Amino acid sequence: MEGKSYQRFPKIKIREMKDDFLKFELRDTDASMANALRRVMIAEVPTIAIDLVEIEVNSSVLNDEFIAHRLGLIPLTSERAMSMRFSRDCDACDGDGQCEFCSVEFHLRAKCMSDQTLDVTSKDLYTPDHTVVPVDFSDPAGDESAEQRGIIIVKLRRGQELRLRAIARKGIGKDHAKWSPAATVTFMYEPDIRINEELMETLTLEEKRSWVESSPTRVFEIDPDTHQVYVFDAEAYTYDDEVIKKAEAMGKAGLVDITAKEDSFIFTVESTGAIKASQLVLNAIEILKQKLDAVRLSEDTVEADDQFGELGAHMRGG
Amino acid sequence: MDPQPEPVTYICGDCGMENTLKPGDVIQCRECGYRILYKKRTRRKIDQCSATSL
Repeated sequence: MEGKSYQRFPKIKIREMKDDFLKFELRDTDASMANALRRVMIAEVPTIAIDLVEIEVNSSVLNDEFIAHRLGLIPLTSERAMSMRFSRDCDACDGDGQCEFCSVEFHLRAKCMSDQTLDVTSKDLYTPDHTVVPVDFSDPAGDESAEQRGIIIVKLRRGQELRLRAIARKGIGKDHAKWSPAATVTFMYEPDIRINEELMETLTLEEKRSWVESSPTRVFEIDPDTHQVYVFDAEAYTYDDEVIKKAEAMGKAGLVDITAKEDSFIFTVESTGAIKASQLVLNAIEILKQKLDAVRLSEDTVEADDQFGELGAHMRGG
Repeated sequence: MDPQPEPVTYICGDCGMENTLKPGDVIQCRECGYRILYKKRTRRKIDQCSATSL
């Protein structure tokens, strides 16, 4: 059962990197790998989020469940999440929040004493552990504009009070979306655009202009000196086929040939702020490796042959 | 049966004052006389027998 090796060596080239945004190219691999990476980033990279809430006093207008849900959705800084334990696998505790390996405790006490409405925000959540805190979205430039006071949980009027204890735990987006570190993760196939220069030269300048303008995004341009049509931004192409239809309508079918490169992907990753976008990609790769290790471990068991069949043979081939 | 039931407190809908009311009292804020009061959560234990027999 010697199979052919399918091993490839994918490459990543980073184009743009900010704390909560990353754009990169992934090359020399296929769609299954790109999509696996995307799905792991969304649903399987762990973060920390509030999971258990004990409400002592709540005389606000929102009910307990509503507030507990809102607390769960607050992103918490989760650099530690990869090295933490899931509370279900933690044997040092019974998941009551006091355990250093699997949970972080938060306290919130707020009471409105004035005639002005009191905003209870994520900044009112107190924790002794400074490594896990609500994500701070305020501008580092120090611009103290209107709502730079954290995420509003509830508003209190005179006399209303909120007092609670919350336990944050490690989790993954597959269990509940509140644990997803990704705001959006997308990838596109890199387009391969080939203009038929010979056919293009049969067009008048006016025709070229109207053809270039038929694209809803700015993909092509005309050189002002030579009047030649060139690809201005291939990635702006949205696979809308408009330019192809236009060429056909002009009686110039085959003016341009656009295909998707099957092994090149352009990823955009936006993070919720729980972890840096760059860390999100690294963690996703790490988790993907762990998942593959789990498959490899069962490689030479009898069940594996039923389960993986051909695939098992490929893995043994390397 | 219960020797000393904990009194129930209410928050005035107008001035936010806390009021303690006993059965039979007029529903009215002591501070401003407003007649809408919101009940606070009690710390009283639920009587298991009456809660189940409903």
